[in-house]
Amino acid sequence: MSEGVRLASIDAIAVGEGVKIDRSVAGTADDIALLRDDDGQVYALDDTCTHETASLSDGWVEDGFVECPMHSSKFCLRNGEVSGLPATKDACPHRVEVRDGEIYIFPGEAP
Amino acid sequence: MTLRSVVVVGGGLAGVSTASELRKRGYDGRITVLERGGVPYDRPPLSKSYLDGSKNEKDIALQPEPWYDDHDIDLRLHTEVESLRASEGCVVLGDGIALPCDRVVLATGGSAARPSIPGADDSRVHVLRTTEDADRLRAALDGGKRLLVVGAGLIGAEAAATALALGCDVSLVDPVARPLEGVVGRGLAEWLHSLHTSHGSTVIEGGIAEFGDSVAGLEAVLTDGHIIGPFDAVLLGVGMRPETRLATTSGLLVEGGVVVDEAQRTSNPAILAVGDPTRRTVDGLLRPRAEHWEAAQLDGARAASQITGTVPPVEGAPWFWSDRYGRHVEVVGKPTDGDTAVVRGEFGSRSFSVLGLRGGVVVGAASVDDPTTIRAARRLIDRRTPVEASSLEDPNTDLRKMLRGLGGDNGSEKS
Repeated sequence: MSEGVRLASIDAIAVGEGVKIDRSVAGTADDIALLRDDDGQVYALDDTCTHETASLSDGWVEDGFVECPMHSSKFCLRNGEVSGLPATKDACPHRVEVRDGEIYIFPGEAP
Repeated sequence: MTLRSVVVVGGGLAGVSTASELRKRGYDGRITVLERGGVPYDRPPLSKSYLDGSKNEKDIALQPEPWYDDHDIDLRLHTEVESLRASEGCVVLGDGIALPCDRVVLATGGSAARPSIPGADDSRVHVLRTTEDADRLRAALDGGKRLLVVGAGLIGAEAAATALALGCDVSLVDPVARPLEGVVGRGLAEWLHSLHTSHGSTVIEGGIAEFGDSVAGLEAVLTDGHIIGPFDAVLLGVGMRPETRLATTSGLLVEGGVVVDEAQRTSNPAILAVGDPTRRTVDGLLRPRAEHWEAAQLDGARAASQITGTVPPVEGAPWFWSDRYGRHVEVVGKPTDGDTAVVRGEFGSRSFSVLGLRGGVVVGAASVDDPTTIRAARRLIDRRTPVEASSLEDPNTDLRKMLRGLGGDNGSEKS
């Protein structure tokens, strides 16, 4: 586990977009949203919006935040902190490492 | 002058957002939120997940209960306000106690409209604005009853879809053939309304003259004389009545809503007003009441910015959502202000949008299960980015890239 879990290659995620990775692949309680910010950085959050059931990997990624595709609650990509209703709970973040163009996450480890 | 105490009258979305934004913006004085009901909750689920029982009152709380203490907000429930004494700087509560304050924010909401139709006071005729309303309606629908929904706007359409999913026999009556036409345009309004019939609800075009009782249940007499029914329950979804009593008795300017300036100040600058019962003056023009979820939240942020002297939120295109029969509808800006309508995706398919353009810029968009287009459209509207109708129409055009200025006029390079 110390090397993390390989989820995808970085080229599979366009800048400003997200990809959903099934929980069975990631070894996590929820599916994982891999989200790539405008600057190319990749972040990992639990995929299910903490408000209802929308998938954050379908959200709008911009300026360090992902906006939920249903009701537009915003979550910080770095730490999952929620910054707008209707969601009131933070999204669970996972530490990410990119090595040789491959994305690894460390489930449950704070970034 | 340092402000030490703000009283917010009303614990709906606008009131709680005001309190929340005051703290976010560094205000460290006293905040008291006076709510005549229970713990503040979010209203959109009342016609959807709360009405069908999949969410309970705790699930729809606007904030978890400890949040108020954590943010040093004095939330007083089941508390009525008798009057405002602006000149003395206090709010008088129902029990006669005067609460001193430097600023008052009226977030008084409103009640569901009950038109004066004969028979509309029957206990089987419901409205839907509070959890109590939703509880009563759900109890009346238990076991798959015959429901008549009056008004096929947002709440009526949502409640009809929820009732149908609960196994009810649903009829929907509205005086116009295409409700929401003025908001989303003719084609999409027609398609949205047709979802009722395609899912098994009965749609009737007409107005209600009166409700009458028969041995089999409630009947409705239409304005053309036709009688429909019988029904076990009726839901009136015909709009809201703004709660303006405190504003009126305080001598504030009220014209079909509490009149406020761009910064949410009423005609008395020590009293602000936010949310559904307000009409905002922008660029010298008095706007209609917004009556949408995000608008209420932004009002709260603006009031807090005025009180704290911090930067107000960005004035962007208004946005709202609605759900019916499992389809998620979103509208941003004013699609009907366009001179050209552009369809992105196949109209009527699993996911599509209709965008309105005027003079080569997007002025509004309405979508069905197409959140990315709405979020892109919102930015295109706010930035007034010039766009070609043909590239918006082309599903291969990546709108996110267009916004970033990479490939704005050509999506054909994509496979």
